[in-house]
Amino acid sequence: MAEKPSDLVQGTLDMLILKTLELEPMHGYGIAVRLEQMSKGVFRLNAGSLFVAFQRLQRAGLIRSEWKATENSRRAKYYLLTDQGRKRLNNETREWGRQVAAIARILEAS
Amino acid sequence: MSLLRNIASGLRSLFRKERVNQELDEELSGFLEMAAEEKMKQGMSRKDALRAVRLERGNLEVTKGVVRSVGWESVVEGFWRDVRFGVRSLRKSPGFSAVVVLTLTLGIGANTAIFTLLNAVMLESLPVPNPAQLYRLGDNNNCCVMTGTQNDGSFVLYSYSLYEFLRDHTPEFEQLAAFESYTADLSVRGPRDSAAEPYKGELVSGNYFQMLGVHASAGRLLTPADDSRSAPRMAVMSYRTWQQRFARDPAAVGSRLSIDGTSYIIAGVAAPEFYGDTLRSDPPDFWLPLVWEPEQWRLQSTEVEWLYLVGRLKPEFAPESVQARLTVALQQWLASHRDVIPQRDWDEIPRQHVRLTPAARGVEQLQTDYALALRLLATLSALLLLIACANIANLLLARGSANQSQTAVRLALGGTRGRLIRQSLTESVLLAVAGGVMGLYVAYAGSQALLLLAFRGAHYVPISVRPSVPVLLFAVTLSLATGIVFGIAPAWMASRSNPADALRGAGRAKGERSSTLQKSLIVVQVALSIVLLAGAGLLTKSLRNLEGQHFGFVTDGRLIVSLINPEAAGYTDEKLPALYQRLGTALPQIPGVLSVSLSTYSPLEGNNWNEYVYIEGKRPDYSETPPSWLRVGPHYFETIGTRLLQGRAIDERDIPAATHVAVINDTFARRFFPNENPIGQHFGMRDERHRADYEIVGIVEDAKYQDTRGPAYATFFLPLLQVPSGEPLRGWVSAIEFHVAGRPENIEPVLRQSIAAVDPNLTILKVQSFGEQVALNFNQERLIARLTELFGLLALILACLGLYGLTAYAVARRTNEFGIRMALGANRRNVLGLVLRATLAHLGLGLAIGIPAALAGGHLLAHQLYGVKSYDPAIFGAAALVLAASATFAASVPARRATRVDPIVALRYE
Repeated sequence: MAEKPSDLVQGTLDMLILKTLELEPMHGYGIAVRLEQMSKGVFRLNAGSLFVAFQRLQRAGLIRSEWKATENSRRAKYYLLTDQGRKRLNNETREWGRQVAAIARILEAS
Repeated sequence: MSLLRNIASGLRSLFRKERVNQELDEELSGFLEMAAEEKMKQGMSRKDALRAVRLERGNLEVTKGVVRSVGWESVVEGFWRDVRFGVRSLRKSPGFSAVVVLTLTLGIGANTAIFTLLNAVMLESLPVPNPAQLYRLGDNNNCCVMTGTQNDGSFVLYSYSLYEFLRDHTPEFEQLAAFESYTADLSVRGPRDSAAEPYKGELVSGNYFQMLGVHASAGRLLTPADDSRSAPRMAVMSYRTWQQRFARDPAAVGSRLSIDGTSYIIAGVAAPEFYGDTLRSDPPDFWLPLVWEPEQWRLQSTEVEWLYLVGRLKPEFAPESVQARLTVALQQWLASHRDVIPQRDWDEIPRQHVRLTPAARGVEQLQTDYALALRLLATLSALLLLIACANIANLLLARGSANQSQTAVRLALGGTRGRLIRQSLTESVLLAVAGGVMGLYVAYAGSQALLLLAFRGAHYVPISVRPSVPVLLFAVTLSLATGIVFGIAPAWMASRSNPADALRGAGRAKGERSSTLQKSLIVVQVALSIVLLAGAGLLTKSLRNLEGQHFGFVTDGRLIVSLINPEAAGYTDEKLPALYQRLGTALPQIPGVLSVSLSTYSPLEGNNWNEYVYIEGKRPDYSETPPSWLRVGPHYFETIGTRLLQGRAIDERDIPAATHVAVINDTFARRFFPNENPIGQHFGMRDERHRADYEIVGIVEDAKYQDTRGPAYATFFLPLLQVPSGEPLRGWVSAIEFHVAGRPENIEPVLRQSIAAVDPNLTILKVQSFGEQVALNFNQERLIARLTELFGLLALILACLGLYGLTAYAVARRTNEFGIRMALGANRRNVLGLVLRATLAHLGLGLAIGIPAALAGGHLLAHQLYGVKSYDPAIFGAAALVLAASATFAASVPARRATRVDPIVALRYE
């Protein structure tokens, strides 16, 4: 019943979340908005996929969370990148670049 | 690291569920609020903003569910929820649950009880360190004392001299020990005891305990130094004897006991769990060094073979190569000892060899004796459990169709089929586990009862029925497997229901599929039940034939006293005549005694001596088993009720100084004197020089002394004291037979007093009625027959329950059909016929499948049966009739209910 993102989307979503957290800790809504802004509205994420991804990343030790006050002095859960998460992000970015380049080469060749 | 975090986080969700849920709630509602605020900034009302967010981002409740189901803990939680739901729904139908659990209790209990025995007898090793290193030289249980080459050339019994040779020429063994092949009755008397008591003893080589690796509970065990004629006489006691006779008094170690009239020092007590080299009832209470073998001729003779050999192989040697080396050594020894092999066996010498067999379970005696029975019982109990499973599957199916609308609603609301199957299976497994737990109790009590039944007459059986780890594992696995077996079909059926159909039909339209399955289960049940019932009939009749056959003696009013060899009381050959005389005078004077006789052994007590005979004027014949023989006193045949066919019986005239005589049985007469009158002929034992030793004076009818199923052995009877001149007396009295008026048991106390009055040192091993002595020969048959009867009865009850259930279900389902039929003019008979016809069809089909299966089963049993054909029509007919009658009755109860349907009510009934 839960719509499953395809493998590509699932893996990519994790990477994108890590990327948004690279600069500063953010809360869930902030992450959603940032992803939409950066993708110029291509990604409009539903809460289910987003929070499942948070849960998954947290269990994997790539991010951690803490409760903090927002700029509007509301209590919200902020997600932070761990060292492990940072390492993973770097690896994945590099890997992504390689793959995109390779795919591009193949597509151009034909 | 990540795994640990995962587990920790999962556990946190499980055990601090409230807190975790609260956090998730707060986080999500924060998310919602923030998103809504954004929209409100653009000018939307709060209400519209919230709805817009919900549309864009999804329903928050659904999100919560999805987020929660990410971790592994949700599986645990789901399982727990299933269990709670299962318990709740089972408690809603307590009658159904009770029937199922009870059925399973009996089914699983019976199987576990039999597995307990199977495990103890067939699977468990000797309680010694590294039992897998133990190997036995020999592969069968030939007993007890013999000479010459051995059956099929496989050496099993060894002379002491051959043992020494093999021990000293096989360095592959850490130790090679020898011990007697049987336990002997010992007469044991402590310094303060008024009379000697019977115990069991075994002669063992000095390295026996070292070889096995047994440790002492107190004192020390025997060592090779004790196995020497220059050492003091030492004995080792079993823990059980220490406990029962000495109340575990440490002072028992080092104390003296008179064993068979000789003083021994107790060296120590064996480990509590140690019962000896062989699993058997009444294991040894004392172990004595071989060197003190009482008669001495066995130990010193290179001719007499009487020892079993077991060794602990060094880990670096392969048994196959050691076996080859042992055979070479055996051949070498035989070649240099041709003189001790009787001439008749010389051709056999090159074929003699040693088979090295694993002895982790010791000498496999009980294992061999009971293998067939246990396997048979395991099969039968498995059959019973299958019937129980079929029955429960049926009940579940009926219940499943009753719940069909519920199932349909759940499917319609989005429950997945996998989820429904899981839920349904959880319920089945819950039932099975409940049955399994209660089954363990049944198994505990049941295996105790089984032991009593299987070893009737034994004082002690070293088999523990306390549930052990393998037994518990077995019960758990069996319960789970059972739950899945009977649960899978109903679960599958339930998940296949079509929500739309079920909701529309409102309980009226039923899938035909499930009822076909139900019907086949009933047919299977009937078929299996007839197999069990017919088997029970065959085995019961066979047992009755065995027990009621004409044995060639009469057990009514007869009593047998078994004595320990009078030698233990200090008698010598010279003093025996006086003892026999005094017994012969004193015992007939006991009030109520009609006649008394003495003999070396009595029929069916488990003893049989046989020896080749040499008949005057005939060539020796070694082609058949040598005839059996025993010594008997005057009045022997009339006391045990064996009829004299010709000539005279042995009587008071037959003293050593008179003509030496013999009485033979009918088979002996027909085998050795086919066309002549045996009376007046002569024969003897040992060799041809003795062929004129005994003159045949009488012929008696055949009587069974050893084998209850085959024909009686050719047997001859000699007077108590007539021995060829220059020969030692062989054959001392160890049985006294009484023919009494009234119940034989009543006379026992008087009888014990009278024997004690003759000599207090005579040790009475047991006093039992002749009937009981005979009955003990059928322990195994009785065990099998009684259990098969029990299983057959249970199967019958289950089949009836099943048919009752199916019919009741059909009647309930068709209530309004019956209403319409009756409204249209059908009478009660028509309706009754309608219902019963269906039941009878199942029954008939079940019988049609079951009877051939039962015939095949009977064929497998054929060699177990005595005096009954494996296809006995009367038994098969009776079994089918009983099943048909009970089943029809079971089905007619609900069928009758159908006839009382009120058409008006039925038509309104939904």
